[in-house]
Amino acid sequence: MSMLKEIQKSLFKKKATVLYPFKEREKVHIPEGFRGKIVFDRDKCTGCLLCARFCPSGACEIVADEKGKRPIFHLELCLFCSQCQEVCPKGAINLTEEFELAAFDRKAFTIR
Amino acid sequence: MNFLLELLQILVFPGVLFAIGLAFVYEWLDRKIYARLQNRVGPLYTGPSGILQPFADFIKLLAKEDIVPNEVDKPLFNALPIFALTLSLTGFLALPITDLRGVISFNGDLIFLIVLMTLICIVIMYSGISSANRFSTVGAERAALQLLGYEIPMMLSAISIGILASSMWVYDIVSIQANSGWFLISPGILGFAIFVLCGQAELERIPFDIPEAETEIVAGWLTEFSGRKLALFRLTKDVELLYLSGLVVALFLGGPSGPVMPGLEFILYPLYFLLKTLFVLFLLTTLRALFARLRIDQMVNFSWKYLVPIAILQVLIVRLVV
Amino acid sequence: MQEEELQKMEKKSAYELFFDIPVGPQHPALKEPAFFKFRVEGERVVGVDVDVSYNHRGIERALEDRNYIQNIYLIERICGICNVAHTLCYAQAVEQLHGKEIPPRANYIRLMIEELARIHSHTLWLGVAAHEIGFDTLFMYVWRDREVVMDLIEMLTGNRVTTAINTIGGVRRDVSDEAKDKVNKGMNILEERLKYYRKVALNDPTVNARCSGVGILKPRDAIKLCAVGPTLRASGVKNDVRRDDPYTLHDEVPFNVITFDTMDVFARVLVRIDETLESVNMIRYCLDHMPNGDVRIKLPLSPPVGEAVSRVEAPRGELIHYARSNGTKNPERYKVRTPTFGNIPSVSEMLTSKSDYEVNIADIPIVLASIDPCFSCTARMEFRDVSKGKTWIWSLKELKAHCKK
Repeated sequence: MSMLKEIQKSLFKKKATVLYPFKEREKVHIPEGFRGKIVFDRDKCTGCLLCARFCPSGACEIVADEKGKRPIFHLELCLFCSQCQEVCPKGAINLTEEFELAAFDRKAFTIR
Repeated sequence: MNFLLELLQILVFPGVLFAIGLAFVYEWLDRKIYARLQNRVGPLYTGPSGILQPFADFIKLLAKEDIVPNEVDKPLFNALPIFALTLSLTGFLALPITDLRGVISFNGDLIFLIVLMTLICIVIMYSGISSANRFSTVGAERAALQLLGYEIPMMLSAISIGILASSMWVYDIVSIQANSGWFLISPGILGFAIFVLCGQAELERIPFDIPEAETEIVAGWLTEFSGRKLALFRLTKDVELLYLSGLVVALFLGGPSGPVMPGLEFILYPLYFLLKTLFVLFLLTTLRALFARLRIDQMVNFSWKYLVPIAILQVLIVRLVV
Repeated sequence: MQEEELQKMEKKSAYELFFDIPVGPQHPALKEPAFFKFRVEGERVVGVDVDVSYNHRGIERALEDRNYIQNIYLIERICGICNVAHTLCYAQAVEQLHGKEIPPRANYIRLMIEELARIHSHTLWLGVAAHEIGFDTLFMYVWRDREVVMDLIEMLTGNRVTTAINTIGGVRRDVSDEAKDKVNKGMNILEERLKYYRKVALNDPTVNARCSGVGILKPRDAIKLCAVGPTLRASGVKNDVRRDDPYTLHDEVPFNVITFDTMDVFARVLVRIDETLESVNMIRYCLDHMPNGDVRIKLPLSPPVGEAVSRVEAPRGELIHYARSNGTKNPERYKVRTPTFGNIPSVSEMLTSKSDYEVNIADIPIVLASIDPCFSCTARMEFRDVSKGKTWIWSLKELKAHCKK
């Protein structure tokens, strides 16, 4: 009987559920500093390869392009730990706040 | 012509189809109110505000594979869901909905209605025993013990109403209340409380959903049923909910009676029936949201220490009044 | 009950008296796979057999293949709810190997995040325990209020569950002033709600009926069977790693060690709720007294040769990590002893009926849940014969026989 008053009040209070994603998408508040999708800036990269050395899951793969060695990121292996962001001396890797990462095509998961 | 009208009454309104449709609506209401009491939403997307959700669950279960284990008692296992559904629908036909008497009505049908509920519990016991599964056996044993606990107080409260009205015919009980107000509830208020509480035990809802406790014995007596049989059992539970609310309304709250205009009875009676059963449903759902699940020995203890003496007290009070 | 007594009882009756009910590996009462075989007579449990090796993932071996920085994230995933405790213990062990101290501001932030994780774990447990006894309403309300803590953790560390804020040499992020304001507001809301839930747990008659007198563990048995954490403290034994062997700043931040003396599930519920209230006070103290300064020192990747042991009070009890380094950038051997592993013998003891104390089938889920089991942390060793493709596990007798050879 001890929760009786509380549950009767709940009949008239606003619901605690956020009706994501169909109706109330904008009410989902993502704080700054959330570790989401990786964004890579090719111009700042110097090819030091520190990110691949410290990636725990092997999501950071080194390939060569016309300017030298550089990483590509496999989001399906990524842990979103942001160790690569921390260790990059030039700040070329950034984790944004984007978290809706489902896709139909595997190619969407490779960040170049 | 009369025969055709009666067939229509049995099959469509207020018979089988009406019962099944209303049972789905009541399950939706039960889930919605339960969710709102817990500050969440409940069914939302199937149909406007989720009203088609129980119907969608039923259709989904009908389409699933029906697995029958090798060692069960096959004739019993296959027939029991149909028995259960038939029993609850028969009970529903005896309730007064469009008139002060139900489609099935005879002298002494108060006893008949109570015994129907006991028969449903016996079907539950047999389903648990016939599925060759340890969890089902434990569930069936608990269902039998729980029947021992709630049946006596329930019967006593129902019979006390019969004594008050000096008749065991539900038509008489309802007509007396229709003519002279709902006086049956005032000396019978204890009986009303006990009947609602024991009804919660009969419907196997929290705090008395012991035979079917999800976290302890997987699904109790329902464990081995799947596909169509599970759909029929779930439908039986919903119709039972409707049936019990209707019985409470008929005995204690005056049935479908209320202020009427002489020509419009066939609209107003079902409307009053719906409103009163909605009130009982609200009580049952609030009980469901308030408590934790009891243990079986605690439930039987509680019933015999408190409910049976209060029920006997109720009978004595009624004898003094009459 | 002893096996001989059971067999005698069975011989006396004409039909089968006992049968076995399996709980697990998949069961609605368990959140993670474990196998318990209960011998029951009607509704009464007479014996139990335990097997917890279903979630073995080979983490200790995997730790030897990766360098110290990569291992932080692997250690974090031993258990999702205790991830802060695991990374804290790991970071402390490696810092011990280096022999360096971390700046004081880092210690305050570490303590704050650890206590936030403790609040999160205990409120999660309260909801799960309420669900096990069938009290879904309390479950929904507690988990709604747990969202306050999850939002705070997300704001401070960047993710709701795998926080990854402890690192070797300090913490990775700093706490800004507006973050401190939000944490303060969150703590005020939480304190009020927790006091309400404490009132509900104490006054509700059905919660009392299901939890009192159930799952009794006497203090002598608790110490003998090496119980840890709230399971031990609910039997009246005042044992807490934060008091006995202080790490981070637990010798400066004041708190009480909560014990109860009724030795049953109800005591464990109250111990956890009160510990959560203590954590709220500790977080407020940290916010008020946080000094300025760095949050991190730079340490080389390979620690010097040596061994280190570090202990931490995880939400479930005492967590021990042992690290051995041979001077390279991968650890040579790493061993983890999680608190749930220490509580398993106690739970077997709680679930056996004795002459004056009966266990019903209905008590099984709540007693199992009362030790706050995290079976992902338990199995540590299994044998694999690669040539034959077989895996098996040795019992204690076989292990002792092998060691004697």
